[in-house]
Amino acid sequence: MVVAGLLMAFVILPAIFNFSLLSTQFWQIYTRFYITGLFGTFFYVALTLPLSVVLGFLMGWARVSRIRIFRWPASLYVNIFRGLPPLILVIFASLFGTSLIPQPILDRFFAGFRRGDIAVGIAAIAIAMHSSAYQAEIFRAGFQSVPKGQVEAAQALGLRSWQGMRHVILPQTFRLSLPPLGNEFAVLIKDTSILAGIAGTELVAKSRDLLGVLSASGLPIVWIFAVWTVVAITYLVLTYSVTRGLRLLERKFHTPGLEAISL
Amino acid sequence: MIRVNDVQKHFGALHVLRGITFEVQKGEAIVIIGPSGSGKSTLLRCINLLVEPDSGQVFIDGVQVNRHGIRHEWVRQQVGMVFQSFNLFTHLTAIDNVTLGLTRVKGMTHDKAVEKARELLARVGLAAKENSYPAELSGGQQQRVAIARALAMDPKAMLFDEPTSALDPEYIREVLDVMTALAREGMTMIVVTHEMGFASNVASRILFMDAGKIVEEGSAEQIFHRPKEERTRSFVSKILR
Repeated sequence: MVVAGLLMAFVILPAIFNFSLLSTQFWQIYTRFYITGLFGTFFYVALTLPLSVVLGFLMGWARVSRIRIFRWPASLYVNIFRGLPPLILVIFASLFGTSLIPQPILDRFFAGFRRGDIAVGIAAIAIAMHSSAYQAEIFRAGFQSVPKGQVEAAQALGLRSWQGMRHVILPQTFRLSLPPLGNEFAVLIKDTSILAGIAGTELVAKSRDLLGVLSASGLPIVWIFAVWTVVAITYLVLTYSVTRGLRLLERKFHTPGLEAISL
Repeated sequence: MIRVNDVQKHFGALHVLRGITFEVQKGEAIVIIGPSGSGKSTLLRCINLLVEPDSGQVFIDGVQVNRHGIRHEWVRQQVGMVFQSFNLFTHLTAIDNVTLGLTRVKGMTHDKAVEKARELLARVGLAAKENSYPAELSGGQQQRVAIARALAMDPKAMLFDEPTSALDPEYIREVLDVMTALAREGMTMIVVTHEMGFASNVASRILFMDAGKIVEEGSAEQIFHRPKEERTRSFVSKILR
């Protein structure tokens, strides 16, 4: 995406619009904002994606558990976090999230962080939880798509129930869950842009800031268009790489008889 | 070898097994017939405790297995089971289906397990299919892999729950042949089936079940041609056509 951005800004747009801002000073500013924003987005994706998968998997598992005290909290969790817009979750998390953490813990473990950054971090976790609610449903469907006979066969062989889970149910659940997970990951990557609304340091926020800085020098509308186009292309490349990666995983774990079932 | 004494089972309001008592000697092949819903499958499942009897006792080699202190996993290693719908592990190849129990339950090394699994697949005539997934095999082949998988655990007895009912007619024979060979080798077997040819050739005794009870018990000749009970007569006349 860096290549796409550079190509756009250095070659294509200057050629079309007779670019007058092609100065080292402009590029220093632009790359600084873009790189900071891009790494911010990477950071939030790296934080929320694994967290959401772990939470989603545990909640999905709890929802099919035979134990009722696991089932109903999980279903409450799914219904709440799936039912609220991520923006609302982010607003709540950023305004009130830090007060949920006891002061001693803040002092001890987060002493080096600004309170605002902690708030954005908690908001990112809220986005992860929103996504995990959807992933919980994907995993639940995955669990339920494994026929009961598979469990019985495992039992009849003398496997303990955790062994049946580990060697028979989980491999099939993961295989069945891969395609819908790809969709959900793309949604999650895009949803990190909501953090721009609460001063998160990521791609959308930094691009907005950049335009704020540049507008002092009388910015033509095409430049605003160009900056946002680079942002859009960046997201496309990001989401495409992740869904593509999952496709490769699907192919790697290709199993006759398991790809026909779609969730 | 296997003794079932006054076993009762309810599913909710449904009284599925109403006091079942019978015994199987070592090396015997017992065939259970009866209309659907008569409790045949439930009875088989009570023997390896996939279904827990409400009351009564199940003994394997003189040990009562349906009581506290007996691990279900141990009981299931004593008796292998073959299902109507094969239930091969979809995500594993034929050979991995057979080795799973060997490595995970018996603690065998991978190499030893593979060696044993190959022998078993050869025995059911599927040596060439070891790397096929279940979806790539015919129903008859899948069921034969399932038999190899159960035999791998060196069970003292085998339970067959309508092993040919889900098969296309052209594949029934190959599965029955494997089962017949097994019975001839002296494997103790309890088979729920409506394959009358198999029952006549292989069964040492036939049990006729109806409405949760064993109605009649006897040789194939007796059950099929000289049934004592009216219910047996009427059922047999339907399946013999």
